[in-house]
Amino acid sequence: MKLTFTVEDEAFRAEIAQWLRTNLTGEFAALKFRGGPGDEHMFTAERQRWEKRLAAGGWTGIGWPLKHGGRGCSIEQQVIFHEEYARAGAPGRVGHIGEGLVGPTLIAFADPEQQAKYLPAILAGTDLWCQGYSEPGAGSDLANVKTRARRENADNTWRINGQKVWTSLAHESDWCFVLARTDSESVGHKGLGFFLVSMHQPGVTVRPIEQLTGTSEFNEVFFDDAVAADLIGEPGDGWKIAMALLGFERGVSTLGQQMQFQNELDEIVRIAKSNGAARDPLLRQRIAEAHIGLRLMRYNAMRMLSHTSTESGPEALVYKLHWSSWHRNLGALAMDVLGPEAEILESGPYNLTRLQSLFLFTRSDTIYGGTSQIQRNIIAERGLGMPKEAKGNLR
Amino acid sequence: MDFTFTEDQLAFREAISRFLMTEAPPELLRDIWDTEEGRSPELRAKISEQGLTALSVPEAQGGLGMGDITWALLTQELGYYAIPDSLADTAFVATGLLSALPEGTRMREELLSRIAEGSVRIAVGHSVNPLVADVHLADVVLQEHQGEVHALCRDNIGFERNPSIDSSRRLSRISFEPSDATRLVGSEQGRAVWAQTLNRGALAVAGQSLGLAQRMLDLSVDYVTQRKQFGKPIGSFQAVKHKLADVASKIEFAKPVLYHAAHALAHGDAQANLNVSHAKLACCEAAWLAARNGIQVHGAMGYTWEVDLQMFMKRAWALDSAWGDRAFHNSRVAETLLADTAQIGPSFTFGALQND
Repeated sequence: MKLTFTVEDEAFRAEIAQWLRTNLTGEFAALKFRGGPGDEHMFTAERQRWEKRLAAGGWTGIGWPLKHGGRGCSIEQQVIFHEEYARAGAPGRVGHIGEGLVGPTLIAFADPEQQAKYLPAILAGTDLWCQGYSEPGAGSDLANVKTRARRENADNTWRINGQKVWTSLAHESDWCFVLARTDSESVGHKGLGFFLVSMHQPGVTVRPIEQLTGTSEFNEVFFDDAVAADLIGEPGDGWKIAMALLGFERGVSTLGQQMQFQNELDEIVRIAKSNGAARDPLLRQRIAEAHIGLRLMRYNAMRMLSHTSTESGPEALVYKLHWSSWHRNLGALAMDVLGPEAEILESGPYNLTRLQSLFLFTRSDTIYGGTSQIQRNIIAERGLGMPKEAKGNLR
Repeated sequence: MDFTFTEDQLAFREAISRFLMTEAPPELLRDIWDTEEGRSPELRAKISEQGLTALSVPEAQGGLGMGDITWALLTQELGYYAIPDSLADTAFVATGLLSALPEGTRMREELLSRIAEGSVRIAVGHSVNPLVADVHLADVVLQEHQGEVHALCRDNIGFERNPSIDSSRRLSRISFEPSDATRLVGSEQGRAVWAQTLNRGALAVAGQSLGLAQRMLDLSVDYVTQRKQFGKPIGSFQAVKHKLADVASKIEFAKPVLYHAAHALAHGDAQANLNVSHAKLACCEAAWLAARNGIQVHGAMGYTWEVDLQMFMKRAWALDSAWGDRAFHNSRVAETLLADTAQIGPSFTFGALQND
């Protein structure tokens, strides 16, 4: 056990902190603390330029292996990067799906030609990606994918037909990775393929979904005989690859997320002290509980990242359930600290204050990326080896 | 001990419920959001025709002379249908306030008659609420000022609108100059009236919150019965159905608390503060849980603008801190229980022996 960073790590920390101080200036200064979850639709053009600035500084794909153009940073260094990134208030990454999900997946499963085709543009911050998993009938039941992939006999290309939903940043993206059925007779997780599809083609239509916040971060995406540029792995490998990709999602970026949580909690404490809410015994208690919950989250994440093997431990299974419930409660705490002022908008017709955005957005934390009910099933079935709930046959 | 309602009370509730179901559907409420004033004069007039505004006006002023206990039922209907008018402020809270003023107080009889006939909108300004609802359309604002009751006409006030997270709520910060001309009664009489008015306002919110909770529960039960995943309606999964069972429990346990508080208020019970605060906390807690578990079982659909659940959730969140937030009512409960003269112990909590 070693709970501190080495001298080399601290030098790395100084380097990234200094780089951010120098670069998060000028046109990028306005992006501080923007573009995170709940705010992803904002400043997308500016954030794309920021992504390129990061790339130019060598700060994209820092956890990728050197031979794939990455920086080959240790886990500790990646943690440090994300901490400093969040501490500086650097904006939400428009390239996070490419860097955090697509890159590691292609490195693990794609052939060298495919890797050479896609990885450089992710590292350069020029190609943005979105995720084509969920469908109207495939939410928690992700394997119930209906989107079909059909191979054209003439030129051997794959054509995609179907609909995806809740697709974040689809309207800004150049590429989408799509889970689609290669075997039309198959059901469930068999007979699926993992495809890479250009968003810039006539067969792809993107329609924004309005959220209860009045803004649109995610979309419906319709594929109408869209051409798939590549199939990763073999037909039928889709589920295996899709699940591996979700495994990459629980990565080091959670440390940065915690820094953002800390910023939010600090803001709530500041308001509680200034408006007198901190004198209320029940609110004091909830603030203390929030602090404790955040420390727990950090320790658990560090423990999770300490695993050297690729097998993650039980702490990975409980992580989403913990942070999402904690964050949802933080949103409610923010409203209670504000009291009767909490419902007043920043301005009409529907511009939310930062804490209102926090409150409303955190209503979705326990839903997206696997609901709390699904998380508990995973803990029970995968973690504890309990029997699976019986499935029905209404399709 | 009898928690039942009279046939008249239940019939009135049933009639209002059926009326609001057809006359105030969610699509209409959404249309009204987009209007400048945020209110529909037509809907308001129809509601008055149903007798809602006359409900607790004394019979001498043309009203029906019903009171707090009937309102405990009707506020639930206002919540269930998310009625955008702060109707309860005029018809219930202001009516109670005016009725409590000594007979012959200036404007009292005239305003009560006009409330009964549905020709006046009255907003109520109390220091527990930093903003006043529906000032922009009010003919009269009954305003607290150092315990005094002031009646402010449109010429007497300035106001600045503040849009709410709930698109139906129209709140304003008001400024006014109290004067002899605006004062209805001084603080000596006014303080008791305002204490009662605060309780009535909180009770109105409690009733509406309970109605909102029931609506969110009904919407959620519908959704989980229809939505299928893993080859089944998701409502067949225990993880999902237990979420809604918890909401049902909260609602059922909040109902008698609300009714007890209405009874205490109607009878000038010395424990009314405690009972009303308890009702506000219990009903708002039910609404909170209904929102939290309701959006959870709706999944991402519940997070959209399009699905109606958001209308009821946002009202519940906004009302949570209206007429006293949770900290306010919790501390009122604590003050009552911890007072040296607190009426606690078995004979207050349970029935007292006849010969005590």
